[in-house]
Formats: sequence, structure tokens, C-alpha cells
Amino acid sequence: MSASIPALTAPRERPGSRISLVPLLIIAGSLVAYAIAALVTGQMAQLSLDGLIGVLQRTVALGIVALGQTLVILVRSIDLSVAPLVSVGAVMASWIMQGDPARMIGACLFVLALSACVGVLNGVIITRLMVNPLIATLGVGLVLQGILSASFANFAGSVPEEFQVFAYGTVGPLTFSIILMFALAVLAWLMLGHTRLGAHIYATGGNQEGARLAGIKTGRVTVIVHVLCSVAAGLTGLYLASRLRAGAPWVGRDGVYDLESIAAVVIGGTVLAGGRGGVWGTIAGVILFGCLDAIFTMSGVNAYIKQVLRGAIVVAAVAAYAYRTKGQVA
Amino acid sequence: MTFPGVVALDDVSFSCEAGEVHALCGENGAGKSTLMKILGGVYQSDAGQILVEGQEVRFTHPLAARQHGISIIHQELSLLPDRSVAENIYLGREIARFGMLDHAAMNAGAERWLQRFGCRFGAGRLAGTLSIAEQQIVEIAKALNFDARILVMDEPTAALDDAEAERLLEFVRQLRAEGVAIVFISHRLRQVFAAADTVTVLKDGKLIATSRKSETTPDEIVRQMVGRELKDYYPAREGNGESAASALSIRDGGNDAIKDINLDLATGEIVAVAGLEGSAKGALARAIFGAQPLTRGTLQIRGTAVSIQTPRDAIRHGIGYVSDDRKGEGLALQQSVLENALLAARGIEPLFASTRSRRIRELRIDGALQNVEVRAASYGQPVGLLSGGNQQKTVLARWLALRPPILVCVEPTRGIDVAAKAAIYHLLRRYADEGRAVLVVTSDLPEAIGIADRLIVMREGRIVGEFPAGAAEEDIAALAAGHAAAPVE
Amino acid sequence: MSVSAASVTRFDPLRLLRRIHPAYFALVVLLGIVTIYNPSFLTPTGIMNFLRRAAPLCIVSIGEMFVLVSGGFDLSLGSLITLTVMGSALMINNDPGLTWGAIAAVYAIGMASGLFNGLVVSYLKVPSIIVTLGALLSLKGIALAWSGGSPQGYLPDNFRQFGRMTLTDIPVLQVLPVAVIVLVIAVALCAWVFHGTTFGRLVLITGDNPRAAEVAGARVRGIRIVAFIISALSAVTAGILLGGFAGPAQDVGDGYELQAIAANVLGGTQLLGGRGSVAGVVAGALTLTALFMVLNFMGLPKPLRDAVQGAILVIAVAYSVRRRKWG
Repeated sequence: MSASIPALTAPRERPGSRISLVPLLIIAGSLVAYAIAALVTGQMAQLSLDGLIGVLQRTVALGIVALGQTLVILVRSIDLSVAPLVSVGAVMASWIMQGDPARMIGACLFVLALSACVGVLNGVIITRLMVNPLIATLGVGLVLQGILSASFANFAGSVPEEFQVFAYGTVGPLTFSIILMFALAVLAWLMLGHTRLGAHIYATGGNQEGARLAGIKTGRVTVIVHVLCSVAAGLTGLYLASRLRAGAPWVGRDGVYDLESIAAVVIGGTVLAGGRGGVWGTIAGVILFGCLDAIFTMSGVNAYIKQVLRGAIVVAAVAAYAYRTKGQVA
Repeated sequence: MTFPGVVALDDVSFSCEAGEVHALCGENGAGKSTLMKILGGVYQSDAGQILVEGQEVRFTHPLAARQHGISIIHQELSLLPDRSVAENIYLGREIARFGMLDHAAMNAGAERWLQRFGCRFGAGRLAGTLSIAEQQIVEIAKALNFDARILVMDEPTAALDDAEAERLLEFVRQLRAEGVAIVFISHRLRQVFAAADTVTVLKDGKLIATSRKSETTPDEIVRQMVGRELKDYYPAREGNGESAASALSIRDGGNDAIKDINLDLATGEIVAVAGLEGSAKGALARAIFGAQPLTRGTLQIRGTAVSIQTPRDAIRHGIGYVSDDRKGEGLALQQSVLENALLAARGIEPLFASTRSRRIRELRIDGALQNVEVRAASYGQPVGLLSGGNQQKTVLARWLALRPPILVCVEPTRGIDVAAKAAIYHLLRRYADEGRAVLVVTSDLPEAIGIADRLIVMREGRIVGEFPAGAAEEDIAALAAGHAAAPVE
Repeated sequence: MSVSAASVTRFDPLRLLRRIHPAYFALVVLLGIVTIYNPSFLTPTGIMNFLRRAAPLCIVSIGEMFVLVSGGFDLSLGSLITLTVMGSALMINNDPGLTWGAIAAVYAIGMASGLFNGLVVSYLKVPSIIVTLGALLSLKGIALAWSGGSPQGYLPDNFRQFGRMTLTDIPVLQVLPVAVIVLVIAVALCAWVFHGTTFGRLVLITGDNPRAAEVAGARVRGIRIVAFIISALSAVTAGILLGGFAGPAQDVGDGYELQAIAANVLGGTQLLGGRGSVAGVVAGALTLTALFMVLNFMGLPKPLRDAVQGAILVIAVAYSVRRRKWG
């Protein structure tokens, strides 16, 4: 009977120096590909600061969701309810606001509170009912999407101009939203590396039984990360409402937030088995997707072909990482 | 304490003093694990009390036990492979100032523990990169970091070879000198007698005896555990008089782990392979079986050169393999005993052959399971419900039914109680006597000496010597260690 | 701890009842409710029509079962169905002579899709969730790109007969839809493969402990690939039936893989592998179909039916986890 914990394939760097090279390489590679595409298609404007900011701008929505997904995957769980939740957030925000600036704060609080509740629901189903996280979040997502689509067929309500500052307002060359995404990334990084909760998150994902025996309340940790992930999805919904001026029930699905957030996390070096990884890899993954999207747009690719390629690229990008996995994968 | 349908512990009284090492012995299912889990707060007892330093306590959660100074080190280590040693030692007890972790303090604290134990690795190493022996030390440090005054260890030496086990027992003695009370569960009686002051034997949930070491002998303990005299623990060797033929032969074999391997196995013999941690003896077995194939040299089976690159090749050439990791590599725990016994046979059948093809029926797997005395309510039961000994016997039945001419076993009796061990030794002997070759890789030197016709010693990936049956243990151990008391770290 | 050799000598009705999977009970109850709404349901014609409706889901669910039992997930089946229907319509374009060629072509596409999924999971070690989610996107994208975004082409009768045609004047059954014949053949074939061949046993073991399967000499990678091919072929078959019912539409296959997974869970298939049965899956699929019929009668709009399916998925898995703990 094996009494050892699974060994890694090669000795790794000291945890103290957790700034690994891989995210930087991914970002560098993406930017290079982006530059080449711009040169090839003659769209030099894309190479300007404005162009790059534009690319970053387009990564914000996925980025915030992916940060939440990182936390969930670190505890060896997964969240497939993020796409419908983004839609719910967007629709609820614009529907409650109805273009009235006085209602902005209230609507935002409501959306975030609702998202937190969904996170609690996900967490409880997984930890108390012991349902496989894939099924639990898939099911909750289906319920959310169903109720939303049944209640709203189209864009609902509208957001006041003041709220659009969220998406379009700038501080110097950067937009609020980009700053927000990086601020959230820094907060997440600090939390993971330097707080008890962070240590407990890694423990729950790395060896749940061992964590439990050490006295860590793994159930509570799981629920907390699911709440954080759902709130991130709700926040993205608010952002999209701000960008699009109103929310519609399909914005989540259109953005493919479920698959792409998982892919960004995996590409960034966080393993689906949990216990290892971090936020900067995810940000790199998100930037990769942003650059890819921009490259497609620059090349004038047909929207359907774009979809075909998106699917293929996600798989290829994950494969580039995964093929070194020893042992079986199902 | 009662589980559905089973009384696990019945009126067991047990005590241990500060500075005492108390060993707990018994067959699988005797109740040792249950007693330990009650002590550790994982289960709550139905009746009786737990007194710590004279005061009655009641534990509802492992953490409560820990807070009273009781720390359990389970057989399945609970370390986090991707976190540093320091992070593991302080798991659940992180040092934080104003909500932020104080990595410097934790690293310093961890270094202090490591120095105390004379470890050669630093607090920043990732736990997954350490050897099992090193991981065990980190586990002990983690337990002590929780101010454990009572340390309970479940089979601490099961996965260690003799030299590492001795090191561990050194720590145990050190802790005893510091006043820690230590309870350990072990099947390896020589270590029990090397380290323990007192020995308690449980059988079928009841207390049989508690004796001071000086008042008892290993044979007496075995008798108490099994309930009868265990004669012929190791089967007698009888040459069957026929001339042996070469079954397997390796010349200049090697891969990343092993080099310059020259090995001959003949029919009718059991050959044991012994060696310390780092000897790569397991790698030799895996090379023969194709799980970690040879990249250099030739391998011949019955005189014909063959290439074995995968387990499938090996099985087709008539080599069977009993892994040391029966749960990870040997069994599909949710499938029935019968299906598990048929596994190797199915593995090489054509994909769309019927499940009840003639080949399968001719194996008479039911009979094989009965021969091996697998005890289960029915063979349709999931094999995961069986005891470790019966699970191992199922794996053996799988091969005994197929009758491959060569059988390779790695740690075949690890974690199995005494009676089951004896049964397995007899099965292997009979198998060899029927004209087949058996290779047994084991860390248990007495076991190797007890069953083998020849004993091969490996060190650092090479075969360094061979002993005939009846060789002295000290000589073998010295050769394995390289004639010097090399610290194994 | 060793279990003594005891046998159940007393006949214990409660225990027997508990061993029958709840899907069968649910099925009976739901069929009862359907009959209340539609009294002509319990006639041979009514039952045959029900089976015809349920056939595509049954077939896809059985295909999905092979992948689930092997320890993976196949989320691309819905898109493959859509591609099958749209592709057939485009290839045949109302020329009945091309029907059989088109059918061969879509089976080839399905085979390629299953092979691709299997190869990527087995050799590139990408988790099946990700590969098949990616395939879900890509296959749908191919269908949309090929058709230009809206259903084109036309399916002639000799294609639609599989879904639509019904043989009449059959003794006892009165009517026998061709779809039901296809269903019976598919179920029989898969039941034989899963319960009666070595392959079926090895799929179970692959899902339970792939390492043990490997060490026992099984070709685990090949087994996974075959499982994905079976699921893809089942999706193509279901697509042909669905194309017969409804004609080309770009959302014809949407959500089918989730329904298939729900049917599997209801039928006792264990997620992440190791346990499953064809009969259970068929019962689960029939139950789900009956449930949707009831919801339809109740006037629930489609999005809410999806919501109900999500809830069922969660409840069914939670229940099966509980059940395993007792059993």
C-alpha cells in the first residue's frame, strides 16, 4: 500500500520565489504574435498604446471571471455556472437601474449579493450534498439560465450614463476597468500567498483529507472560494452592463466565459487537480486570449470560423501544457 | 464501539505513560485502527472513557484531540506535495501578524525542527520532492509542532527499509527521553521488540494481553495475535530433484534507474532481491515487467531474446506482476472480487471477445480464489471491502490462475497481518515448486531470508552480490549498505 | 476487516425494493401522470409514439455512458447532432440519390470526431471536459460556417423515413415506428458490447483504476478512444432520427449532451467511472422524456424546462451519492 504522497516529476523552485517564468513567457509570446499579425495585415494603429489598451480592455471581462475561477480550481473544484451568472448580473443591473442614476448603488449591491448567494448555493451543494462540482455548478447554471431566459427575452432596462464610467472612464491612459482587474489580481495574489485563508486554500486543494486532519475547515474554505468566484462573475456582469448600456440574457453564453476561464486558468499553470498555481498565470492566459481575439478581428475572420478556431485553440493551448502530465488523464 | 453489524472494540483498556513507548499489535481487523481513531477524535466511542493525564476528555473532532496533545500520524501521510516543508509543518497553525502570514518566522521555526532531527534538507523544499522517510520526519515535526505529548503512529515503518526504520526508531527513543508518550502500531515484530517498552495485543476487538517487553517474546506475541501456534511460518525448501531450466535471463541490462544488470532466474526457485532505499530494486522488478522498461542490454525468456516495452508485452511473454501498491496499481476497488481476479486474463483478450469465452471459463477463477483462501461474503462483492490481506490474495489468485512461468512480486506482504503473510509465503513456495520462477523484491530482510533459495543484493541501481539460502542477516545488511554505516538521507 | 461468509437467507422485501434503482419508480410514476393528461397514452400506439420520441435521447445516452464509465465526459454530442443534421441537409439538398452517401459521410465525420477526442485525451493528456467543450464550440462553428448561419438544404423523404416513418398493421403493437426499430437495434448492440464483451469490462476497469488496467495489460488508450467513437456514432444516429422528425435547424442538438448525462445519472451510471448499466440508462432516458412531456403538458416554456433539467441533474447526483453511502 503506498504510504507516500505523489511525488513531482522534477524538483521545483522554492515557493518563496513564486514568480515563475511561464506567465511572462506566455504574455511575451502573445504580444509577439499580436505584433506580427498587425504588421502582416497592415493595421499599424493596433500597435500604438491605444491599440494595446484596447486589447487589455477586451480582456477585463474574462479576466475578472478567470480570477474567481482560479480560486475555485485551486481547491480542486470547478465552476461552470459563471456564464449564466454573468448574464444574470448584467440583466439584473440594467433592469433595476432603468437608467436612473439614483438606483446605481442599489442595483450593484443587489447583483453582488445575489451572486454571493449563488456562490453559497454552489458551495453547499458541493460540500454538504457531496455532488461532483462539475454537475453541481452545471446544474445551478442551467437553472439560472433557464429562469433568466424565461423572464427576459431581450435587452432589459438600461444603465444610466454615470454608470458607464465604470467601463469607459479613464485614469490617464488606462481605463477604470483595467485598473480594477489588476487591482483584483493583486488582492487575490496577496490573499493566496500571505494570509491564512490562502494557505488553507492550497491545503484544501492539495490534500483535502490531510487539511481536514490538521483542523482546517475545508468545507468552509470551499464555500468561500465559490462565493468569491460567483461575486467575480456578478461583477463582470455589472461591467458588461456598463459597456453594452444594457444587459441581455445571452451575454454570458456569447462570451464563452465558462470554457475560456477554465482554459485561461489551466494555461496559466494552475492544475485542475488543485493545490498548485496562482493568479498571474491566469492573467497571462487571459492576455493570450485577448491577443488571439484581436488577431482574429484584424484578420477579418468570419464569426463562425472564429468559433471553430476558438475551440481548437483552447484545446491546443491546454494540450501544450498537459501533454507532460505523467500517468492517466480521463 | 460498534459499527453497523460489527463490534469493533469491546471493553478494551489501554494506558500509556509519559516517556513510554507502547506497541499495539494485532491482525487486520483486530481493532487497532479503531482504538487509534477513537484516541484521535476521528470516531467517538460508544462506551468507556478517555483520560488524558488523569482527566476525562471527550473528542468530537480531530482538532480537539490535538489540542489535548494527542497527535496521530496515519499510514497515508497527510502532507501537501506542492507546499514547502515549513508550510506543511505549520499547516493549521500558521503564524500570522495582523492577518498576514509571517513566512520568516515559520521558516525559522521549521529549520529548528529539522536541525533537531539532523535532516539534510531545508525548510523551503517542496514536500513532494522528499523521500518517504524524509516525509515521515516532516510529519513527526508537524505533530510535535502542535505540542504533542502523546504521539500515535500507525505502521510508521511499513514503507521503510531496515536502515531507515532504525533511524526512525532512534527518533522515537529520543522523544521518549524527552517525556513524550508514544503508541505505535506495527506488524514488524523485530522493530516492536527493538523500540517498545510495552506490547499490547488485540484480537477480534478484545484485549488479549498487555506485557512488558522483558516478560514476553516475539513468538508469544504472534501466538496471542493469531490465537494458535503458527508453525512453519516460512515454508520448508525442498529441491524437487528435477534439473532447473533457465526461465529468464538478463545481460547488461539497464535503464535510467539500473545499470549492468546480469540476472538469471531458473524454474523451481524463489529469488529474493534485497536492498536499501535508493537501491532501485523496485525498478528492476518494473523493468522485467515492462512498466519501466530496459533501454540497454538483452532479456531472454527460456532462451529466446524478447523485447518487453509494456506490461502487456510482459504478460504475453508469461510474466506476472504483483505490485507493491495494490490499491493504486493492482485493483479496481469498486469492481467485484471476481472481476479483479480476472483482470489480467481480460487485459490480453481480444477486445470484443465474449466475457464468458472458453479461455476465461477454463481459468476456473472461482477455484483459484478458494485455493488462495480469499475470505469474502461473496466473490461478487466489491474488492474494496476486503481486508488488505484478502485484497493481496485476490491479486495473487489472478496470477496463480493464469500460471505465468515467471512471477515478479514487489513487497508482497506489506501491511498484511502475520497469518496472511504465512499463507502467502506458502503459496509462493508451492508455485515455484510447480516448476516456475518467482522473483520477490522486499524490504523485509527476515522475509527475504526466510523464503528465498537465493538472495540478490542491490545497491544504487546495481547488483552487488548474491547469497545462498541460509545466509546471515548481518552479512546481507552490510553488503546492502556498502560496508560502511552510510547515513541514509 | 474480513467479512464472514454469510448469506441472505431471509427474504427481505424492503431490501429488495431498495436495490431497485429509483429511476424505474420515477418512470412508472411519470408514465402514470402522462396518462392522466393524455388517456390514449397507454395504448400500443401511444407507447410506440412515446418510444419514438425518446429514441434519440436513449441512443445518445447509451453512447455517453461508455465515455462516462471510462472516467471521462463527452460534452460535444449536442453539437455533433447539429452538425449531422445540418450537414446532411446541405449534402443531400433534396436529391434522394445522395442520401446514403450523405449518411456514410456523417458517420465518417462522427468517427473522426470521436477519434479526435479520444486521441487528444489519451495522448495529449488534455482532460476530456476541456477537449469536448472545445469540440462543442468547434463542431457547432463548423455547422454554422458550412450553412452560413441558417438552415439550408432540404432533407428528402428517404432520409426522414428513419425518424418519421411508421410501419402499420403490425399484430399486437399495431404500429412500429422505424425509429423504434433503430432504437432496439442500438440498445441490443450496446448491451452486448458493454455487458457481454471483454471491452465492456475493461471500460469499467479503466474508469475505476486506469493504472491497474494498464498494469494488467489492457490497452487503456485504445479503450478510451473506442469509447469516444461509440459515443460519437451514437450521436450521429440520434441526429439522423432527429433530422427525420424536425428537419434542419441550428439548435436541433443543443443541450443533448447534458440531457444524456442527466439520463445516465438517473440510470445509476457513476460519474468519473467504474459503474453503469445499459438498462439503467435506457430507464433514465425514458424517465427524462416522460418528465419533459409532463412539463410540456403543464405549459412550461422551454427555458424553464432547461432549468428543471439542471435541478434534476443536481438532485439525482446528490441522491445517488447518499444511496451509495447506505449501500
